[in-house]
Amino acid sequence: MALPLLRRTTEDDVRFVMTPTIRLRAEASAEAGLRNGGASKARGQSIETRMPAGLPQPGEQYRFHVDMGSCIGCKCCVVACNEQNGNPASINWRRVGEIEGGFFPAASRSYLSMGCNHCVDPTCLSGCPVDAYSKDSVTGIVRHSADACIGCQYCTWNCAYGVPQYNAERGVVGKCDMCYGRLEHGQSPACVSACPEGAIAIELVDIADWRAATAASAPGRGLPAQDGSLSTTRVTMPAHLPPNGRPVDLSHVTPEHAHWSLVFMTVLTQLSVGTFVVIWVLQLIGESTRLGTAAVTSLAVAALALGGATLHLGRPAYAYRALKMWRRSWLSREVALFGAFSVVAGLYAAALWGPAAFAKASAPGSAAALGGLSALLGIAGVTASACIYRVPSRPAWNTRFTLLQFNLTAAALGPLLVLAVGASDARGLASAAATMAGAQLLLVALRFVRLVATDSIELRGTARLLSTTLKPHFLARGVLLGAGGVVLPLVAAGSVLPWIAFVLALAGEIAGRYLFFVSVVPQHMATPYLELGSEAA
Amino acid sequence: MTLKRLLGLDTRAERYAFASDPELGYVSAQKIPDRWVPTTCGYCSVGCGMFIGVKDGRAVSVRGNPDHPVNRGMLCPKGLSEHHTIGAENRARFPLMKQGGRFARVSWPIALSAMAGRFREVQARYGRDAVGVISTGQLVTEEFYALGKLTQLGLGTRNYDGNTTLCMSTAVAGYKRSFGSDGPPGAYEDFERADVILLIGANIADNHPILCRRLEANPGATLIVVDPRVTKTAMLADVHLPIRPRADLALLNGLIHIIIERDLVDHEYIERHTTGFDALRDSVSSYTPEDVAQITGLGPELLHRTASLYAGARAAFIAWTMGVNHSTKGTETVNAITNLALITGNIGRAGAAPFSITGQCNAMGTREAGFASSLPGYRAFENRAHRAELAALWNVPADRIPDARGLAYPDIIEAALDKRIRALWIIATNPIVSFPNLGALTQALEGLEFLVVQDGFHPTPTTAFADLVLPAAIWGEKEGTYTNSERRVSKANRACDPPGEARTDFDIFLDLAAALGVRDEIFPGWTGPRDGFDEWRRVSAGRLCDYSGMTYDAIEAHGGIQWPFGTQGTQNPEETRRLYTDGVFQTPDGKARLLPVHWEPFPEQPTGDYPFVLNTGRTVEHWHTRTKTANVPILERLSPRAWVEMNPRDARVLRLKARDRVDVVSRRGRMRGVELRVTETIAPGEVFVPFHYAEANANQVTQSAFDPVSREPNYKQSAVRIERGSTPNSQYPTPKRSPGRLGIGSWKLGVDSRVERKDRGR
Repeated sequence: MALPLLRRTTEDDVRFVMTPTIRLRAEASAEAGLRNGGASKARGQSIETRMPAGLPQPGEQYRFHVDMGSCIGCKCCVVACNEQNGNPASINWRRVGEIEGGFFPAASRSYLSMGCNHCVDPTCLSGCPVDAYSKDSVTGIVRHSADACIGCQYCTWNCAYGVPQYNAERGVVGKCDMCYGRLEHGQSPACVSACPEGAIAIELVDIADWRAATAASAPGRGLPAQDGSLSTTRVTMPAHLPPNGRPVDLSHVTPEHAHWSLVFMTVLTQLSVGTFVVIWVLQLIGESTRLGTAAVTSLAVAALALGGATLHLGRPAYAYRALKMWRRSWLSREVALFGAFSVVAGLYAAALWGPAAFAKASAPGSAAALGGLSALLGIAGVTASACIYRVPSRPAWNTRFTLLQFNLTAAALGPLLVLAVGASDARGLASAAATMAGAQLLLVALRFVRLVATDSIELRGTARLLSTTLKPHFLARGVLLGAGGVVLPLVAAGSVLPWIAFVLALAGEIAGRYLFFVSVVPQHMATPYLELGSEAA
Repeated sequence: MTLKRLLGLDTRAERYAFASDPELGYVSAQKIPDRWVPTTCGYCSVGCGMFIGVKDGRAVSVRGNPDHPVNRGMLCPKGLSEHHTIGAENRARFPLMKQGGRFARVSWPIALSAMAGRFREVQARYGRDAVGVISTGQLVTEEFYALGKLTQLGLGTRNYDGNTTLCMSTAVAGYKRSFGSDGPPGAYEDFERADVILLIGANIADNHPILCRRLEANPGATLIVVDPRVTKTAMLADVHLPIRPRADLALLNGLIHIIIERDLVDHEYIERHTTGFDALRDSVSSYTPEDVAQITGLGPELLHRTASLYAGARAAFIAWTMGVNHSTKGTETVNAITNLALITGNIGRAGAAPFSITGQCNAMGTREAGFASSLPGYRAFENRAHRAELAALWNVPADRIPDARGLAYPDIIEAALDKRIRALWIIATNPIVSFPNLGALTQALEGLEFLVVQDGFHPTPTTAFADLVLPAAIWGEKEGTYTNSERRVSKANRACDPPGEARTDFDIFLDLAAALGVRDEIFPGWTGPRDGFDEWRRVSAGRLCDYSGMTYDAIEAHGGIQWPFGTQGTQNPEETRRLYTDGVFQTPDGKARLLPVHWEPFPEQPTGDYPFVLNTGRTVEHWHTRTKTANVPILERLSPRAWVEMNPRDARVLRLKARDRVDVVSRRGRMRGVELRVTETIAPGEVFVPFHYAEANANQVTQSAFDPVSREPNYKQSAVRIERGSTPNSQYPTPKRSPGRLGIGSWKLGVDSRVERKDRGR
């Protein structure tokens, strides 16, 4: 692939990388010294000096350079980007954060304009289940295909910079592509063209050098810690940034999106898996009353969960595409494993519940094998689910506790459902449920302690949310699970109480999962002090 | 939402498609126009050249004009999204008359005959001057000229002023006192050619961001910023002087004191081109560095250093805006600025000038076309020869031309309060958000017998008070000229038709003149703005603001032409023109006046009950009272609501934390539930609020204190306290007067049964 106009011809005065309206002559002065960060000296100079001297050589790519010393916080780049891409006001592929420090009158506020960082190893790309992302082999630009995208929004979690944004009007994600189409036509990107101060530039970066330089230095202020994706954006800090300069939003946390369809999908799939595991164990140890009913109920729950999960997608009709990247994406693996689980578990349920003829025809051994396979696929599915949330940019999720939490949900709710449909060995089921629910409560407590006793800004933010805004939800989650998962099973006697116990515990787990989603504080770039407003009129 | 969209089969791909445009390049296809209309930006007075992209009669995009000398293709965020103002939902579309407390649609002939009739009725009963007119800096010069003639000769009232009195009248008054005439002497190029740039009370990074490019282009210059806040502009400075509120006059006198003391003055310039030096020297003798340090909070060494920098410069430039003008000592502060420039000879040369940066796109045009604080062409009401000259030009008896100015804007409001003004016509301005001390203003408007509001938008907080709303065309829908801060006359053009039955202000003025029976006399043979421009060229000929050599075509061809541009001589339209290059001023003796002026503490000092000094100002995303920018979704997104800035030390004492909702309370009123921003960019003891937001209206707390010369309000330095917040305002103030007592029922109205769109929340 070639970007023809980016090959600069200097000898015969042919212009390069120009909007047709910016009729500046290619000046000889623009030739020199631009390959390695020459743009930092480009304050107030012509737009030429803010564009790379040519196509990247092997081992190089394009990147943004942002000069915070020149930026006056006018936000022309944000407006120009939205106009360029025809995005609604609520979606901003370029944003301007604020970093403040010092003491009056030696105070300063600096502005950090950021689009996509066009990472060397982009996490949006590696997590995508449908291969909607690509890293351009010539320029290194990370591109996204709206046609391929199914709107799962996994990339919006994976990116530590909050770059990909979901467009509900379209049902797909979108992001800054460095105005790839403009570059291809020999034009400078909208933000570069619109900046009155010449603070944004495109330049070449030697990837190996950059990797070494980045490893040796701390991230710039207003930027999250490097997560291995290797952001390429070069930020020139202002000359006199006070030592206490920090993003103005640092101590400000607000709950994240709840993703209700995912709250139900994850809890219900875990319930279903837990139930099948219990059924299988009961079958193995020879208890067989009402197992069929339990299996069919559980199967219905799984179907509901998986069907409901597609509603999370912006484009449910293309849910099947999510299988595509199973070699790379945990989301693909989850879909594949739960798909297989539902098929095998369906056969297992049929074996347990089906007409006597079928039951007789199938040897008990093969039914048990189906049960074992269901359990295996189910646990693998729950594990894949948990791994989806192991994203470095969301520290509250990125822990082994998530894997434990998801499996304990299965382990606590499974026995309770089987108990509720009236399978035998109530005592054993009740003590299993109580043990697992107790473990889950212990985990909740441990997790909170971990949040409080950390240096991570994001984790402390999660703790603050749970102890302030979300405190009532947090308490309710504990009480519901304690009552339904521990207390009632231990005192359960009549036939109604197990159902009440199950419903309370399920409600507790749903509340817990809701908190899981809303209390996460993502890593992010500095933002403005005033939260961005909703789109007007 | 369609099923196809729900399933994800449709991703609105056509709406998000891209295509190539010869001018815009590869861009969102919906932004590609059929044609480009050249024009000048309609927001601030920087006067950036741009194009409006029109597709199927709708404005779909804008782009900066790369050949325009002011902005070289660049635009600020408001300019970059300006096309969104034209199609805004809250545009005024039909003439509306209030009946029984509700607006009903009426036809234009009925609206204008009712207006003419009511004005004549009020004048018959209470005298000609019982009708007042408050205009704006938003119209084109042709319209200002027509409106002035219509008001003074047609309606026959002298009580005519503009919202420019809330903004630039102080600069006008100061220039007149020092130089004998209004007219900013410098040019934008001076930013690039000065070696010292002194900005006083001017936060250009937020308010005139395109001018910051000029600073970037002059990296060798020393930038000194005088501002009590650490503004975006102060952060760009080489030297920031974090002065105490309104100590600027003391600072300037202190600098003059040092400069005279150390004999850094330009004796030759003073001798040849000024009068009053001895009195000035005596007047500043008490402004010793030690005393000035006490007043300003700046150390004596810093004062000495600043004086050395300024007086030692080869070319020193001073620019100021509202920090100076919004003050009861504003005019005198301007005179202190001109004193400083004059005694060092820093005027009339490249890079050397005192220079006011204006607010609105055509505030300059209203100053030139006059009829408010002076007669057209910077002529004086008091000057018999000037009156005779105009009478001859207009072919009217000289006694038709008033020999003294009428009431200034604040005095019109005061006259309305005590019933000397009974009917008011407000054009293209929104006083409910912009006028100080809201309580007094609403009382004045409620007491009127007849209020006409002519605006491009409805509802606005002000149209809610109107008896008659006249829908007007706005920027992009009409033709004429704007003058920017550097006296550059640029062309604004019509790209789209106004919505509904809205009409250009020019046409409204002509038809009102017809309804008053004076059209043939004052607008003989006029049909469009070009007729107004031609007469204005003749009227301005030979004056300082001489347009006589300009034509619409030449203005377009050169990206604007700076006045003076007469027919005499062979001036190059593209050369940078400065005033007073020959050292000859507009005074009778041709010499500039050095004027002794004295600092005083600001009027409302903080007390135990009201311990904070409130400062007001702007943010880059919004324009004035937000009638336009609140309807531009991206700007509203970037700056969605008001805030109060407070130093962390004060916040700790008050036990307030960032993002708390607080009330700002003065002796006059209360801003409710405003978000607190705790920041070190403001001094302890001071707080700041932006003035754009009707929902959190800074003028609920500001005071009725005005400059005695310019009549400009002292918006800044109100004494306030900060309380933990109550519920925010959800609505604008609304008129309390009883419906139906306005007497417009006596007019036989063919009221259209279609009722106007329901008023939205704002």
